[in-house]
Amino acid sequence: MESLTNWLDNLLADNSIFTLQTLSYYGDGLVTTVQLVFLSLIIGLVLAIPLALARGSKRAWIRLPIFFYCYVFRGTPLLVQLYLIYYGVVFVEGIQDTWLWVILEKPFVPALIAFTLNTCAYTTEIFRGAIKSTPRGEIEAARAYGMSWALMLRRIVLPSAFRRALPAYGNEVIFMLHASAIASVVTIMDLTGAARFVYARFYAPFDAFLFVAAIYLCLTFGIIYLFRYLEKRLLAHLKPASG
Amino acid sequence: MADTPIPLEVRDITKRFGNTEVLKGLSLQAQKGDVITLIGASGSGKSTFLRCMNLLEQPDQGELIVHGESIRFKETKKGREPADWKQVVNMRAKLAMVFQSFNLWAHMTLLENIIEAPVHVLGKSKQEATEHARQLLERVGLGDRADYYPAQMSGGQQQRGAIARALAMDPEVMLFDEPTSALDPELVGDVLKVMRDLAEEGRTMIVVTHEMAFARDVSTQVIYLHQGQVEEAGAPDQVLGNPSSERLKQFLAPKH
Amino acid sequence: MIDLHGYGPRLLEGALVTIELAVLSLILAVLLGLATASAKMSRNWVLHRLGTVYTTVIRGVPDLVLMMLLFFGGQIGINMFTDWLYYQFDIDIFINVNEFVAGVCTIGLIFGAYMGETFRGAFLAVESGQIEAGRAYGMSHALVFRRIRFPQMMRHALPGLSNNWMVLLKTTALVSVIGLSDMVRVAAEASKATREPFTFMIIVAAIYLLIASVSEWGFARLQKRYDVGFEEVN
Repeated sequence: MESLTNWLDNLLADNSIFTLQTLSYYGDGLVTTVQLVFLSLIIGLVLAIPLALARGSKRAWIRLPIFFYCYVFRGTPLLVQLYLIYYGVVFVEGIQDTWLWVILEKPFVPALIAFTLNTCAYTTEIFRGAIKSTPRGEIEAARAYGMSWALMLRRIVLPSAFRRALPAYGNEVIFMLHASAIASVVTIMDLTGAARFVYARFYAPFDAFLFVAAIYLCLTFGIIYLFRYLEKRLLAHLKPASG
Repeated sequence: MADTPIPLEVRDITKRFGNTEVLKGLSLQAQKGDVITLIGASGSGKSTFLRCMNLLEQPDQGELIVHGESIRFKETKKGREPADWKQVVNMRAKLAMVFQSFNLWAHMTLLENIIEAPVHVLGKSKQEATEHARQLLERVGLGDRADYYPAQMSGGQQQRGAIARALAMDPEVMLFDEPTSALDPELVGDVLKVMRDLAEEGRTMIVVTHEMAFARDVSTQVIYLHQGQVEEAGAPDQVLGNPSSERLKQFLAPKH
Repeated sequence: MIDLHGYGPRLLEGALVTIELAVLSLILAVLLGLATASAKMSRNWVLHRLGTVYTTVIRGVPDLVLMMLLFFGGQIGINMFTDWLYYQFDIDIFINVNEFVAGVCTIGLIFGAYMGETFRGAFLAVESGQIEAGRAYGMSHALVFRRIRFPQMMRHALPGLSNNWMVLLKTTALVSVIGLSDMVRVAAEASKATREPFTFMIIVAAIYLLIASVSEWGFARLQKRYDVGFEEVN
């Protein structure tokens, strides 16, 4: 064990910045970033599906509030939304005495709420577009075969809409990863938070931020390749038959 | 007559795309008032030949003499290029081209299309160019279409408009690249009529076409190209009426 | 009337900073975008590579990280340069990186990459026959660009341009993090001081929505202008 530490110490001896300690900051930051992004994307996705369907409702009192929600959350900076929820929660009178404070005390939960609301608004619009562009013929065919509305939705409309939404949703995932960097503004030690900490400690902006930029770049490429793979698997039927 | 320079002379032009030799040494001389028709199957090189004449394609070898002025070339790593682009710009202003797909500028009205090059290339005043343009539009039968955009007109109207655009340059030679091939059959007649009128008034024209009747009635010379070479050339009566080449006979034979 | 606790004028100043920052960044981004698009379409492989690396890296890294790198790193880089000047030539100057300039440069640099893609697509969307007709009528390259290529490519570029502008506008909020007093920073300070975050954040959100709506209207008008001649017959 000692020899391993020695070996690593030697390896890192030439620089005073990237010690085991700082690398562990980046490691913890990576975990926080992935948690934050992954959780907000999953919850946002689950909420977006019913919202996207309701967004196309014929009843104005269902349609308009969702439209308004999407308009506001897509039209304003995520940072403003984060501040609103973060400070909004902190400054509610008496909240610090309730049981809620235990979970809201840490900035993680307000950040998660803000990110989820934001990505949900974008995802709703992406799905709305995909559902709307379902070929008429497919719907007519489903009706002609006697499918109920729910069955048609489940078997025909949604599966094909998901596939069509895939490229745009891939962009949204990358957007969310990048946007999550602002979590560091409310003192969360995510990847960017770790970089800011290392910068402040060593006054070495190039080392601190270029390193974290490289990590983000790798994550971005990972997402791009994942979605490319998914598109290849799921959208194969839309390609012209290859000769 | 002998003193006025020949409008367009092309000597021994060759052109290859990759490994295929498309033009294998073609020459042509257009005297004032000549109407030269280039015919041949698709892939014979007739359009490429025409496009070499105003350097929309760069010929690999050969000479190009416009109104007595020889175009200068230089050798570069990527092949031969014009040595002086100013000279090319001047030369192109003398050879107005009419395209198969009209290529009227989509963001301009018909009138704006016609005055564009006279104003910005020839440096005419806008007023003068506009007056001239209106006369030309009357001539091609589009007097009431000046303020239409290309997308609002039929193909035949667009092509007649494109001919007016070419005429507005007061060109030495007019180059026609299959001007009726993209048109519905019932619209071909109007365009051909305009072209016949131009030939009658003594315009110098080089026309790539599949319209044999036009070639027979109007041309002073017909050139039949096959695989980048002149297979047969001469007066229309002779080339179209009494072809000696077996290939040309087949080409002219009525299709079933 | 809403009580702004005296923050009204500062909020207004902040809004002006936001707008100035956004407009100047947009201009820089458009210029960089045109340059990038030309580089990526150039036959010179060094330029081509350079353009590709620029667009790939910028689009793969969070805006905030780039902004901090350029802002904090920029200051150190300039300090190193002035130190060098001092030791080599005995010239003693001190340059302080101005937050506003740093903000414009960073946002311009980031969105230059996105604009590059927009313009490249638009450039290629112009039919070759349109360009060829210009050349055939003796137009120079510059004239073809000015009279034909540019007006026609704008039609294809505008939707992307408008979209990039909307994202850029929201990105300006990040400059509050590096210390520039835009409206988000003013609102955050006011929220903390007055303990009324909803009042200030909602006002700021409303101003963003207002700017977005006005620009949307402006872009729609521009689009109409560049669509002339392309609408379907009848």
